[in-house]
Amino acid sequence: MIAIQGALWAVLSWPCLLSTSFLLECTDQDQVIHPYCLSISQEKLLDRAIQHAELIYRVSEESCSMFEEIFVPYQLQLQRNQAAYACLTKAIPIPNSIGEVQQMSDKWLLHSVLMLVQSWIEPLVYLQTTLDRYDGTPEMLLNKTKWVSDKLISLEHGVIVLIKKMLNEGLLTTSYSEQGLFQYDMQTDMVESVMRDYILISCFKKDSHKIATFLKLLKCRQTDNYNCA
Amino acid sequence: MDGWMLHWVQVSTSVMAAAASPSSGLLLFLLTSSPAWFPSPGSAFVTDWHHMTPSAPVEPHFTNCISRDQVTFSCWWTPGSFGNPSDPGALRVFYQKRVIDSPTKDEWKECPHYFHSRRECFFDRNHTTIWTTYCLQLRSRDNITYFNTDDCFTVENIVRPDPPVSLNWTCLNVSPSGQSYDVVVTWEPPPSADVAVGWMHIVYEVQYREMNSTNWEALEVQLQPQTQQTIYGLHVGKVYEVHIRCRMKAFTKFGDFSESVFIEVSKIPSKDSFSLLTLVIVLGVVAAVILIMWIVVSQQHRLMVILLPPVPAPKIKGVDSELLKKGKLNELNFILSGGGLLGSPMYSPEFYQDEPWVDFIEVDVKDPDTGEKQDDQASDTERLLGGSPHVRQRAGCSNALSDRLNIDDGALTSTLLPGQPDNKEACLCVDSERGERPPAPSGPQTWVNTDFYAQVSNVMPFGGVVLSPGQHLRTQESGPASNQSSKNEKKDGEEEEEKKQKELQFQLLVLEPDSESSTRQIIPPPYCSLPGESCRSIEPRPAEAYQSPYVSPDSPQAQLFAPVADYTVVQELDSQRSVLLDPPNLQSAQSCRLEQHPLKALPAMPVGYVTPDLQGALSP
Repeated sequence: MIAIQGALWAVLSWPCLLSTSFLLECTDQDQVIHPYCLSISQEKLLDRAIQHAELIYRVSEESCSMFEEIFVPYQLQLQRNQAAYACLTKAIPIPNSIGEVQQMSDKWLLHSVLMLVQSWIEPLVYLQTTLDRYDGTPEMLLNKTKWVSDKLISLEHGVIVLIKKMLNEGLLTTSYSEQGLFQYDMQTDMVESVMRDYILISCFKKDSHKIATFLKLLKCRQTDNYNCA
Repeated sequence: MDGWMLHWVQVSTSVMAAAASPSSGLLLFLLTSSPAWFPSPGSAFVTDWHHMTPSAPVEPHFTNCISRDQVTFSCWWTPGSFGNPSDPGALRVFYQKRVIDSPTKDEWKECPHYFHSRRECFFDRNHTTIWTTYCLQLRSRDNITYFNTDDCFTVENIVRPDPPVSLNWTCLNVSPSGQSYDVVVTWEPPPSADVAVGWMHIVYEVQYREMNSTNWEALEVQLQPQTQQTIYGLHVGKVYEVHIRCRMKAFTKFGDFSESVFIEVSKIPSKDSFSLLTLVIVLGVVAAVILIMWIVVSQQHRLMVILLPPVPAPKIKGVDSELLKKGKLNELNFILSGGGLLGSPMYSPEFYQDEPWVDFIEVDVKDPDTGEKQDDQASDTERLLGGSPHVRQRAGCSNALSDRLNIDDGALTSTLLPGQPDNKEACLCVDSERGERPPAPSGPQTWVNTDFYAQVSNVMPFGGVVLSPGQHLRTQESGPASNQSSKNEKKDGEEEEEKKQKELQFQLLVLEPDSESSTRQIIPPPYCSLPGESCRSIEPRPAEAYQSPYVSPDSPQAQLFAPVADYTVVQELDSQRSVLLDPPNLQSAQSCRLEQHPLKALPAMPVGYVTPDLQGALSP
């Protein structure tokens, strides 16, 4: 059943990746193309994407620490490593070691990145709403999550442009709820909600680190293919 | 605590169930694999949390798990107080990768590589995956499992990079006082960390301290490039110790410190390089100034010529330009007349060889006068009139002349005006002596006129000079010659003076037959026969400035020439360099017409030069 669900998920999400019917790069809310995005060189684009990813990781780590400090009881903080495996899985296999990365092509690497990025857009939006509901949520935490959410969207745009430049593929941005699985119940208990958020943040932190690393590996490959992973 | 943990597990599982259906397996996993959740002592190596101090007997546990390059990692354990420490195989390490939906989710694998001597379990790159949770446990021979959920981690969270290598320092600059200095510390990333590939992003921290202090100053390396850092404000004479460590960016775990490097700068001799440079520059400038001044002083004449070209001043060759200035007419005339012991060097052809406009009429020159120094004007006049012996006799005349002539100091020309009536008597006496005078080498003896100049009406082939009509003309060989010469000299002198004054204008007398001269004859000019006429001709005719009678000492065959033209055009110079003049109208030269109607008032003008307007006045 799980396998069937996974397969269904893959089937549902694949067409968007391989669609070439639209060439929307750097679109804003109104799906308007920004020609400026196409004029940036590939290297600069990649650098910017790396900067985005690293910043996102740092802010997510700070947010996680802040959240943990405020909401999660001290005894449970040790368990956060346990929670790592509770993260959502992804449709396509994403490399987890340098060996696996070495076996991946640029195309797969980029698509993995895009996958990761797109999978976190909606959960972050959800996170903001829940954080708003809590009492005593510091303003800074809210700002950080908001910031991360915005940056993630722009990172997605950037990665799409990169794919267009490097692989000559056109892609659609996520304008629909690809997950459909991330249902949340607003009636849940406070503790459950907190825990859920805690797991979410931790998983996001891990995935953002992954995104940043993949992009850096990609950059290495662009400049010096001989020594890179 | 346990119940709470269980509750958390339940919560998490329910959350997972709500969040994602695939995580239902998680729930089962959690419930089955963790029967007893109790915090194990001292196993929180992942979080550096050591608040749980073991008091009970310590069971085997992991002391540390570290990854140096995010590619491999190692874990170290200790048997604790149980077991035999010398028995290497007593404990075995098992690990588990907790991946959702992995088919091997329950599988515990044994450590891929043991280092029993160090009690280390090493996971190579094939067994290492990042971003996945590892859980480790120890199992003894008798299948007792020592497991702590605190020992689960993800690899990126346990990364502690190796210390940087090649730590070095260079002196950046020194303060002006020489007491403190800045240093740049450089290093290289640890070779194990694959920074170039981008697999790890490393940030550094530099710490330094004085040798004898205990506090380290920490500097987070922020600036790009991140492999160098400047330390400011170190003191001369003190020894500093510097070391460095690094960590993954956005992670918290630092690696070990590197080897220390010692910085020491001994006392700096206060050679102020700045002042030395200034001194050198100043000396160079001073030397350059001195050199320039020396050049200027030594070459000042040349420089003056270059910078201030000389303005041509009035100058006559052989004559000191001082004499040309106002008020020194006597000396000038003296010189011009060839005075002084030098004779007339001015008039020698050799003197004027390079000046084409000066032309000489060669005449036998017997310098009439050498002794006259008193009166330049008088001597000149005497030369023309009669020579030196008459000077004394005509002292009054000449003096008067000279006096008169000296009156107008301004223009030379004004001094050439004809004599005044008052001198007439004085000069008459000269007349009487006219015939008795032997020809002296100095020139003519008896002169009648008081005028300084007389017109040359004609020049005889033999060298005689025919002067204006109505005067006695003495034809003496030497006289006319001298007359001529002196006249020529005088004329030349005049001309030269004027020419000197007017550069390249060669002006002989522009003679034109005027109404009067038309009545006179030139060649052969009949003389006025009457001495009385000649005497009368002495009478000054102020209007006719140039008709002053000029008597040449004649030979006994004094002939009175018919009146000749006052002015005659000089036609040409013949081979002997004599002036050939135009013959006047013969009809006009019938009578010694003494009556001369005054010409139109002529302004005083230099003899020998006729301006065009005056020329018109002169023309008939």
